[in-house]
Amino acid sequence: MPAPRLRSRSLRKIYVRTPGGRTIIHYRYKKPELAKCSSCGNPLKGVPNERPDKMRKLPKTKKRPSRPHPNLCSKCMRREIIREARKNV
Amino acid sequence: MFEIGKLCIKTAGRDAGKKAVVVSILDEKYVLIDGETRRRKCNIAHLEPLEGTVDIKKDASHEEISKAFDEIGLKARDVTPKEKKERPKKIKKEKEAAEPKEKKKPAKKSEEKKEVVKTETKKPVKKPKEKKEVKPKTKKEESKKK
Repeated sequence: MPAPRLRSRSLRKIYVRTPGGRTIIHYRYKKPELAKCSSCGNPLKGVPNERPDKMRKLPKTKKRPSRPHPNLCSKCMRREIIREARKNV
Repeated sequence: MFEIGKLCIKTAGRDAGKKAVVVSILDEKYVLIDGETRRRKCNIAHLEPLEGTVDIKKDASHEEISKAFDEIGLKARDVTPKEKKERPKKIKKEKEAAEPKEKKKPAKKSEEKKEVVKTETKKPVKKPKEKKEVKPKTKKEESKKK
């Protein structure tokens, strides 16, 4: 039986085989959900998904793409820009 | 479709959403652009044509383009290099420079102490009684010197 603090579903289990041949369970914290495009819902590329303590250590430029509309995926962003460009024409 | 002087908007990469002018045609696919974006080779698939053209010669320089952009009412990218800012590290150095003036006097004392300690450490291994003798000797000597 694991320790009471480890009997939580917020932890993920990793099965590790020891040199002696036993398998033990290691406990790690789960990662948060992937960042998703706000229009189509696909996961965003270039946005890391880490626990907040690691995200805080990252520089701002590594947490989001440098193009406009960082909350959209590249396809949706392109569609948005083209739509705005064609409005004026 | 993309002739020299054609206004267009970039739809991909870090310059996406910025307006540019076709400066020269390199290939069936590629075109050299300049303007609000940086001066760069660009795939036609990553450009969206806008209405209007700019009077530009082939391979026009950035200055010419920036003048042409001012006439339309757009602003071309600033190419002038940024002035270097003073780093905050220098302030720390000033502090370090200011402190040692005060510290100099105690530093000397510490050196004297260290010398005493060395004499102490060497001798007392055999006889601890000499330790007591050594200290007063040094102090007396100092006082005599003074």
